[in-house]
Parts: sequence; C-alpha cells; structure tokens
Amino acid sequence: MTAYIIRRFFHLIPTFLGATFLAFLIIQLAPGDFVTRLELDPSFNHAQIENLRRIYGLDQPFTVQYAKWLSGFLKGYLGVSLSYQTGVWEVLKPRMLNSMVLVVLSIIFIYSFSIPIGIYSALRQYSWGDRFWTTVAFIGMAIPNFFFALLMLYFALYLKDKFGHEIFPIGGMRSLYIAGMDFSAAPKWRQWLDILWHAVLPVIVAGTAGTAGLTRVMRTQMLENKMQDYVRTARAKGLAERVVVYKHILRNAIIPIVASIGFLLPDLFGGAGFVEVVMGWPGLTPMLLEALFSIDVYIIMGSISVTIVLLMIGNLLSDLLLAWVDPRIRYS
Amino acid sequence: MADAETNLIEGLSEHSQSYWQKAWQRFRRHPFARWAGSFLIILYLLALFADFVAPYPEAKSFRKLQFVEPTKVYYTADGHLSRPYVCKVVRTRNKHTFKLEFKQDCSAHYPIYFIVHGYPYKFLGFIPMDLHLLGGPWLVEEKAQLFLWGTDDFGRDLFSRIWFGARISLTIGILASLVALIIGVIMGAVSGFYAGQKTHLVRGVFHLPTREEWRLSGGAALLRLVSGSELARGFGEARRERQLPLFLLGLLVQYALWGGGIYILWITMQGYMQVSKGLEHVIAQGIFMLLMLYMIWQLLFGRVQIDADDLVMRSTEVLAAIPSLFLLIILSGILAKYDISSSMRFMLVLIILSFVGWGGLARTVRSLVLQLREMDYAQAARALGAKDFRVLFRHIIPGALGYLIVVVSLTIPGYILAESGLSFLGLGIQEPSSSWGLLLSKAQQGGISALRDRQWLFIPGLFIFASILAYNYLGDALRDALDPRAEH
Repeated sequence: MTAYIIRRFFHLIPTFLGATFLAFLIIQLAPGDFVTRLELDPSFNHAQIENLRRIYGLDQPFTVQYAKWLSGFLKGYLGVSLSYQTGVWEVLKPRMLNSMVLVVLSIIFIYSFSIPIGIYSALRQYSWGDRFWTTVAFIGMAIPNFFFALLMLYFALYLKDKFGHEIFPIGGMRSLYIAGMDFSAAPKWRQWLDILWHAVLPVIVAGTAGTAGLTRVMRTQMLENKMQDYVRTARAKGLAERVVVYKHILRNAIIPIVASIGFLLPDLFGGAGFVEVVMGWPGLTPMLLEALFSIDVYIIMGSISVTIVLLMIGNLLSDLLLAWVDPRIRYS
Repeated sequence: MADAETNLIEGLSEHSQSYWQKAWQRFRRHPFARWAGSFLIILYLLALFADFVAPYPEAKSFRKLQFVEPTKVYYTADGHLSRPYVCKVVRTRNKHTFKLEFKQDCSAHYPIYFIVHGYPYKFLGFIPMDLHLLGGPWLVEEKAQLFLWGTDDFGRDLFSRIWFGARISLTIGILASLVALIIGVIMGAVSGFYAGQKTHLVRGVFHLPTREEWRLSGGAALLRLVSGSELARGFGEARRERQLPLFLLGLLVQYALWGGGIYILWITMQGYMQVSKGLEHVIAQGIFMLLMLYMIWQLLFGRVQIDADDLVMRSTEVLAAIPSLFLLIILSGILAKYDISSSMRFMLVLIILSFVGWGGLARTVRSLVLQLREMDYAQAARALGAKDFRVLFRHIIPGALGYLIVVVSLTIPGYILAESGLSFLGLGIQEPSSSWGLLLSKAQQGGISALRDRQWLFIPGLFIFASILAYNYLGDALRDALDPRAEH
C-alpha cells in the first residue's frame, strides 16, 4: 500500500509540471504584462517602468520566470503578488480556506442527499416518489449554477421582503455584526455558526448538480446489484430484507460512488466558483478573476497550483477510501 | 420473459430492420425526448429566423429607456375586444425620490400587426428583407416601443436579443463538441490503436553499439560508431525506398526540436543563474547541466522511442489536472484582452471550449478503439493488407459511430453551459454581440436589490436551462436507442 502511494506520488510529478507549465504558457499569451497599464500613467517615466519590469523579473525569458517560480514553489514560496504587494500565500490562504469551506460542505451535502434518495428510488422503482426524484434530478443537472445562484439570491430577497428580516443572508460570507458585537470580537462558535448560516444557500447551489448526478448513479447501481445472484442467495438464506438491502446490496452499490469523489472534485471547484462570484463568497475564483484582469502572474499561478495540489490530494484520498471500501482491490 | 418473446418475434419477422430503424423505434419510446427534440427544433428555427422574429435589430438601443419593464399588451379597448395594442412608455422622474420611473401614456393606442414591414435586414446574411413577425409602422417611426420582455442596461429589447443570442448560444455548443470530437477521435484513435506499440520517432546521429555487438567484435563496433552512423544508414535506407524528402524533412524537424530545446534550456539556465545564489545556485546548475547533457546525448546517440498512447494520455491528464472552469477562465480571461471582432471572438470561444474539452472524448474513444481493434472485422481488414489509416477510419471508427453520436449529444449541454458561464462572467461573447449568458449577466447589474424590480432579466437564464434540459432528455433517449448495451 505504501509502495502504491509512493508510486502514485511520483506519477503525479510530471502531470503537475505539465499543468503548471501550461498555465504559465497561457498567461504569457496575454498582450503585455502587469506593468503595461502603468505605461499610460503619466506619473511613471520609461526608466521607472523598465526598472519595475526588472524588479519583478518580467524582462526575463518566460522559461526563466517559470524556473524561478518552480524553484520557489519547491521551497514553499509562491512569489509576490504584484497588485497586493505582499506574499501570494498571505493573499491566497484566507481565500482558499473560504473555498474549502464551500467545497467540503458541498461534498457533505451531496453524499448525505444523493445516497438516501438513490436507495429510495431504486427500492421503489417507478413509484411516484421515484418519478418525482428523477424529475428533480434532471432539473438539477440542467440548471446552470450561476442562474440557480441568482434565483437563490432572489429567493432570499423575497423572504426578507415577506418576513421583514433576513431568513437567509443575501450574499456574502459573514455578517458585519453578531448580536451587536463586531464579527471578530464575537465568540468563535458564533462566528462559525454565522458562516454556516451564510453557507446554506451557496452550498445548495454548488451541490445540486453533483447531487443530481450521483442520485442517478446510486439508483442505477442499486438496481443492478439487486438482480445479482448473491442477493438471491442472501434472500434464500432467510436474511431480513433490511440486512439484504443495507449489508449486501448497498455495500456493493456504494463502491462507484466512493470512486466518484475523484471526478466530482474538479467539477465542484468549478461549480463553487460561479457561486462565489454571484453570491459574493470571498473564495478563490473572484480573486482569480481579479488577478486575470491585472495579469498578476503569481496570484494566478499560486491559485492554480494550489488547486492542482488540492485536487491531487483529493484523488489520492478517494483512492485510499476506495481501497478501504472495496477489499477486492489489490495494489501490487 | 416479454423481452425474450419480442426478441424472438423480431428475429422471425419477415422484413428485417436495419440498425438505424431499430434505433428509431427505441427512440420513439421516450415521449419526453420527442418533446425535447421538437422544442429544440423550434428553438433552432427561431434562432435561424431571428431577424424575422425580433421586432428590433440586434444592436438597436434606446438610451433613455434603460431597464424598462415588459410592455403591457392590451386586448380590450372601451370594454370591447380589439386588435392587441400597446401604449407609449414615458420616462419621468419621481419628484420625491428622484428615481427614474416609466409610466404608460395610453392617450394613443398602437396596434400590433403580424408579418409587417419593419427594420430592414439581410435574411441569411444576403437576402435583403424587412418583414417582421410583430410590429407596426409606429415601431420604426419610434412613436412607441414594443418591449415584450423588457429592456437591458442599454435600453435594448430583450425579446429581440434573446433570439439573436440563441444563434450563438445554441450553435457554439454543437460546433464546440464537433471540434472536440474531431480532435478527440483522432487523438483517441491513434492512442488506442497504437497502445502498447512504441513508435520510433527520433534517432540520434550515431549508432551506439549494444553490449552484444561489443562482445562480438569491439573494433568493428567502434568503427561503426564513427563511420557507419545511424544517420548514414537511415539515409541509405530512405534513398533505396525513394522516400528521401520525407526522411530529410523528419531529420530537419527532429534537429530543430532538439536544437530548440537545447537553446531554450541554455537561455533559461543563463537567466536563472543571474538571479539565484548559494545552495540553490549549485543545485539548479547541476539539474540544468544534467538536462543539457541528456539532450545532447539523445541528439548524438539516442534512439528516443515515443509511445503515442502514452503521450496522448499524459496530455489529457495534464488538461484534467486543472479544474476545467479555472482553465477556461484563465484562457479566455487572458485572450479577452485582445481587441478582436465579434466573429473572431466567437471562433476564439469555440476553440477554447474544444481545447479544454477534448481530453474526455479522447479517453472514451481510446477505450472504444482498444476493444474494437481486436474485433474480427478489424483483424480481417488488416489481414487483407489494409493500411493502419484505413483500418482505423474505415472500419473501427464507423463501428463506434452510434456510440460517438451518444457521447456528442451528451457533451453538447456541457458546452452550452460553459459558453453561457464564460459570457456570464464577461469573458466569453462580448458586447454588442448577444448570447444568453451575457444577457443573464445583466441581472446582476445594479446590485442584488435591483433584482426585485427587474425580474424579466431572468428570462435568458430560463432559456439556457430549458435548452440544456432538452438536450439532456434527448441524449438520454439517444443512448437508449443507439447503445442498447449500456445500462440506464
């Protein structure tokens, strides 16, 4: 197992290099660089601008810039943000944590809804409940995240108009004041509760597509396993229906669901991205958009590389989880 | 049981049915899919005849009529049923709140006529016409306005712009998935077909003797290293087979690549050495030197064998390593900085979408080809002496056609979603062109509380949603029809 993990890790290195190099290459396609817009600023003269370029290393060939960035990354240093004038990591860290809150909560949401609904639909195939959830799943798969987010904002606004106070917050991630106190002065648990309250609608939006997809997979898997011989054997042994369903069918049907975390994560990062932009959640994507606007190379590279690393860790974890759930898998 | 019986009857029936006839029968069993199909056909027709359906041209704006709510259509006048008519919208400023307000002035009625002369346009881009579905003489004379679904921030008719936007939003999905399919099929087919076979792509200048050759005759091997170089051997071979130009071209490309690689590495090293110091300097120098030596070694003695399968699969892994939204955002965010025409922008978005999306298709095609190349008919074609290209594209790929149609129909909604998402973020289609995502982004303008009074700006979102839903239903039914082996 350890050998497998180490092998996986070495396999990831070229992928990581390729992906970061690709991202770097794309940034080079931009017309001009971070300093270009200062050229229009009359308070900068030509020499100053050239000096700035030299300081930021923007006058070097881009392979040099990439090599510099890479060696910095290996030392745990992500460079300096050109527009914030501080270390990239200081800018990135809070944003990344905010995004992680959304992604982790969405994963919990997805699994805690899709698995029970999938089981229900499969056990009562073609019942009205099944039809209802099938329709909901189709709608959930088709609704664009950004549209859904706008609708949710409208919904929150409607509730506020109706009840006179905010049932759900209208965008954002935290309140300015909690019970009359400044947010940062409030006790930790109240801060968390406040963030959770803000996260309800964004998580529903970010998780819907994934939930809808996984519900269908879960249903198909349950139906398929229901027909297997071992289920008939279990029934013939005289096992209780509950045991047959939850210890035999579910145990096998859940394996692809666990494996799907790897596919789900990148989509979730994307889906959460739109939610962040529309609902004012201060995550990675709004910052990335801002950085793209000003061609803040190291912020872009930082957020991309950190996301890649997060995804790789996620994939590795899902593989380990899979090995734990499915003892048939051998890593040799 | 019933299934077995019908299969039996199908087998025994007198008139045999082709694959496509059977597929059509299976497809017809899905009522939703048929509705979805009709809905999409109507949408595409409306997009095609957008000039006719829309009362206003795409870029027609009324600067003073921003965010006007949908024009009310009246059906009764003085208690009698009458031809539908509208009233003029007047802009006033509220004396107390200083807000702009739009009021209706029903002193004059403006009747709506059907199929009437209006703004001139070119049907299909070259036939001059001025017929419109709705309108009246007052519409062109701008005495009153007909905004069935309100206006946007420039005072442009949303109803008109939705149909113009449909052209882009609905076609870009199909086109992007076709381009991605072409790339994906070529890459996936090559990858699957040559899986496990290494292609001998690059050969060094000299032939390094193997240990075997050394053992047999050390002196002769040394001689071969100097005189009978790999290059000379390849040259002779190519001349004998009358493929000299090809050989020379390959040689040129190969040396250009290696030379370019070494040159880039050299520049990088020089630049890097200037800015690094201490231990980092030493380590980096070591790494650069090793890389350089490796490249020179390969140029002189190497026989680099490239596994096409490995290469393609690694590329798809690299693409998949970055979340596709981030890849889309950085690509289009960077390229959106260029000032290009709207048709070029369309092409750009198309290329970006298919560039980001081909990886998944290539993987699917690869696994298909891996299966199909072992099929009897593929083996038979090869036994008859067909070339690889012919076996691949005349025998194997047609065998996977039904499956490919299903895959494409299932990827189209994803591309529609991606395009509207990009345009929504302001990175895709740009003003003054129109696309559903761009139109929906207007709902965000003026803050969240503005949403309360501008509900009509949600309409483009409904269109995105409905077309994706329709494509999903269609794709599901197509999968049942064309790929009966798949589970559902």
